[in-house]
Amino acid sequence: MSIESETDTLLTVDVGSVNTRACLFDVVEGGYRLVAVGRAPSTVGPPLFDAREGVGMAVGQLQLITGRMLIDETNTLIKPIRLDGSGVDAFAVSTSAGPSLRTVLVGLMPGVSLDSARRLAASSYMKVVVEVSLLDRRREEERIDAILDSNPHLILIIGGTDGGANASVLRLVETVRLALGMMPEDRLPHIVYAGNQQLLSSVSEILHGFPSVSLMPNLRPTLEHEDLAPTRMRLAEVISDLRSQHVVGYEALKEWSEGSLMLSSDALSRVVSYLCEVHAHDKGVLGVDLGASHTTIAAALGGQTHLTVCNDLGLGVSLPGLLKHRSISDITRWLPFELPESVVMDYIFSKALHPRTIPTQLDELYIEFALARELVSTALSEARLTWPSTTSRGDTLMPPMEPIVAGGSVLSRAPSLGHAALTLLDAVQPVGVSKLVLDPSNLASALGVSASLIPMVTVQVLGSGSFINLGTVITPIGSGRSGRPMLRYILEREQKGVVLDGEIKWGQLAILPLNQSEVGRLTIRPSRGVDIGFGILGKGGRLRVVGGAVGLIIDGRGRPLRLPSDPVQRTEQIQGWLWNIGVRD
Amino acid sequence: MNYKPPVTHVLPLTTIHREWVLPTPGTIIVRVNEQVYPHDIVAEAERPVRHVILDVARALNVPADLVSRHLLCEVGDRLTAGDRIAMGKGWLKRTVRAPDNGRVVAISEGRVLFEVLGKPYELQAHFPCTVVDTDGVQKVTVETTGSLIQGVWGNGKRDFGVLKMVAGGAGGLMTPDVLDIDLRGCVLVAGSCNQAAPLHQATELNVRGLILGGLSAGLISVARRLDYPLLVLEGFGEFAINQAAYELLKSNEGKEASLDGTPPQSYGYQRPEIIIPISSTRFQDIPEEVVPLSPGVRVRVVRQPHMGDVGVVRELLTRAVSYPNGNIARSARLDLEGAGSVSVPLANIEVIQ
Repeated sequence: MSIESETDTLLTVDVGSVNTRACLFDVVEGGYRLVAVGRAPSTVGPPLFDAREGVGMAVGQLQLITGRMLIDETNTLIKPIRLDGSGVDAFAVSTSAGPSLRTVLVGLMPGVSLDSARRLAASSYMKVVVEVSLLDRRREEERIDAILDSNPHLILIIGGTDGGANASVLRLVETVRLALGMMPEDRLPHIVYAGNQQLLSSVSEILHGFPSVSLMPNLRPTLEHEDLAPTRMRLAEVISDLRSQHVVGYEALKEWSEGSLMLSSDALSRVVSYLCEVHAHDKGVLGVDLGASHTTIAAALGGQTHLTVCNDLGLGVSLPGLLKHRSISDITRWLPFELPESVVMDYIFSKALHPRTIPTQLDELYIEFALARELVSTALSEARLTWPSTTSRGDTLMPPMEPIVAGGSVLSRAPSLGHAALTLLDAVQPVGVSKLVLDPSNLASALGVSASLIPMVTVQVLGSGSFINLGTVITPIGSGRSGRPMLRYILEREQKGVVLDGEIKWGQLAILPLNQSEVGRLTIRPSRGVDIGFGILGKGGRLRVVGGAVGLIIDGRGRPLRLPSDPVQRTEQIQGWLWNIGVRD
Repeated sequence: MNYKPPVTHVLPLTTIHREWVLPTPGTIIVRVNEQVYPHDIVAEAERPVRHVILDVARALNVPADLVSRHLLCEVGDRLTAGDRIAMGKGWLKRTVRAPDNGRVVAISEGRVLFEVLGKPYELQAHFPCTVVDTDGVQKVTVETTGSLIQGVWGNGKRDFGVLKMVAGGAGGLMTPDVLDIDLRGCVLVAGSCNQAAPLHQATELNVRGLILGGLSAGLISVARRLDYPLLVLEGFGEFAINQAAYELLKSNEGKEASLDGTPPQSYGYQRPEIIIPISSTRFQDIPEEVVPLSPGVRVRVVRQPHMGDVGVVRELLTRAVSYPNGNIARSARLDLEGAGSVSVPLANIEVIQ
């Protein structure tokens, strides 16, 4: 049985804080394909302060590329498609641009309900500015002052298992009410209550008269059970409302998309969940989006997708936030040359002032890659706090992930795919057998938002080669002295009938020739104490591997990756790795 | 190609409108068409400094639902420190008094929420100007004519003083030895600063402000703690002030300038800026905020290797340009003062106007 879709042509737009991308999908030879991508600077900020301008420019570029009219003479999207072929059948928008939601968390216990609320806040564009809890040592009036001073967009009240504490929760709600009573009407925040369900009518009564109060199912109905999904959906709407107020053009985009407007982070999460279903293996799937204002990590593990949005980590305005987590020497250690730390410090703060600028000099390019490594690695550390503890190996190693899909301007405009691959390898430090995939056009957002309109677009485009497969990565685990044998391999390239064999030493990063989509059989014989992922230390085996744009990568540098402390040795080491992965500056 | 880059104003004479807004509704002190001076107060509002919860029921030892019988004030009442809020009955007559000057904001469950009011929040005019509009409760719009120079970063402070060039030239390094007693009360202009000592020394001289081309990022926390406004015009590092801004500042040396060190906001209009009021008998144009990039437009480069260089657009290139580090970008050909004709990515260009 065939399923016919009434919708052939889909236009998606992703509005980021720096770039706006428009993607056109159409049916080609019986399946949905990406036809073209248009890019333009985002215009949510100065000088235009209207998101529609950037969207118009990106769609205008699509028109130039495809020769197809998408916007009419009145600057309105042509929808549905006309007989002359102009226009589109469907339009969807994802966005990460706009201010983060200043959020006050009010909860009973720091280790229970507040932990759940923190996880919820970390999964979206929310910035926790104040926390109030039962164990708070501040006096009630000091808590009120803290809430007032923080000028919040949102107050999220949680706490109390269903049927649990009553009086304590209501006392906290009463504190919130007193604070709300002193706020000007035009600055009243949204209130979301997601605590003890037996108190809904009492909470509703206490907060009666305040305009934006949402009563949601309990985030933590029992001590053991956490349910973030319903409140997360409500918060996505609150964020959308806030952005409608602060970003000109946002409301119009909502109207054009007829409600198909999604947060970019949720779109990435949806694609990662889908990939996890498709691969159906016992590993996880990882999605990384390194943006100018946020770094987003989506990890599908054990049937659940964990989303983390780091609002203080990005390669633009939020770049100085990295220094709260990492020192300058953590960043400079990735440079293939020596550079005074003050230069990198100046670079970080200047880039935050001019987030849309791009480097044209070699030293600046490598500073950006060094920053990208630390941003992703820091975001992963934050994200792993929310992952199930059973997935972390020895607390420091990544759980096995395949594929690892990464996007972001610094990676997609890298002068060579080797730069992108090495940056990802160093930042994520995958273990076992994995696959690195680059999302050069930020398609993950487009496909995530498409899934709600035309699910087949997501399914078919993901399998169509619009992403760049950088290569399969094999990362043995163990410990050995640099230069000592780690494993022997035999690679049979199926299509060319060529057999390669050789040895990988500890500390070596090797690239074996296996082209994009080329299939090979890899036989590995590890040394004693080396774990390839076959279940037992030192056990070898045979793997079917698929090549990539960089090749087949065997990363013998060990996990966690340790760099020489001597600066001269370290820069030589990094230059060597760059050379090995095919970078020829 | 219709590219509209960010615009930085470096204008010798223009009409400047600024809207001053109180954080909460208050009192507007000035009238429309009134002339005001930098330190004149144009509006003021009450400023709550903290809140105090007074447990009246417990203090008077009465049930919460009977507290209303003992209250001597209502919500909204203004009290001075020591005024009676509630008084018990009987021979002992326990009394609850206002802990400070302030007002009663809520009464609930036998408790009184008291807002302690501090010194009023005062909005100054910041520069000589005319009041052109007000909503009567919270906003005042003022207008002046003069020079306008926008910066990229400021330390959040504001002041007004006489411009004085120090450190010699647009790229001169600010060191302790360029500062002397003659600079007391002035707004200083220097190329860049990479040490904390001259910043602290300037505090001792009671300077009214400091304008720099570049500041070492390591000094940001020091700069934020200074009493006077510090404005950065180019970026973090050792950068000279761009030629257009430097010449304008130099030509106005000895005149009074208003410095607003408000840091830039991602989704806001405000930027750090210098306003040098100059009276004009003719109407001056209001600065344009959107200028499409096209041949002849004056621009500034905001990234190395031509950071801070000023020039004009010669041509918008139809083909993307490949740069020495391998990056490929849509670009423009610029004629830069002192550097000649160079290709620069569009993303690294700002319009100067």
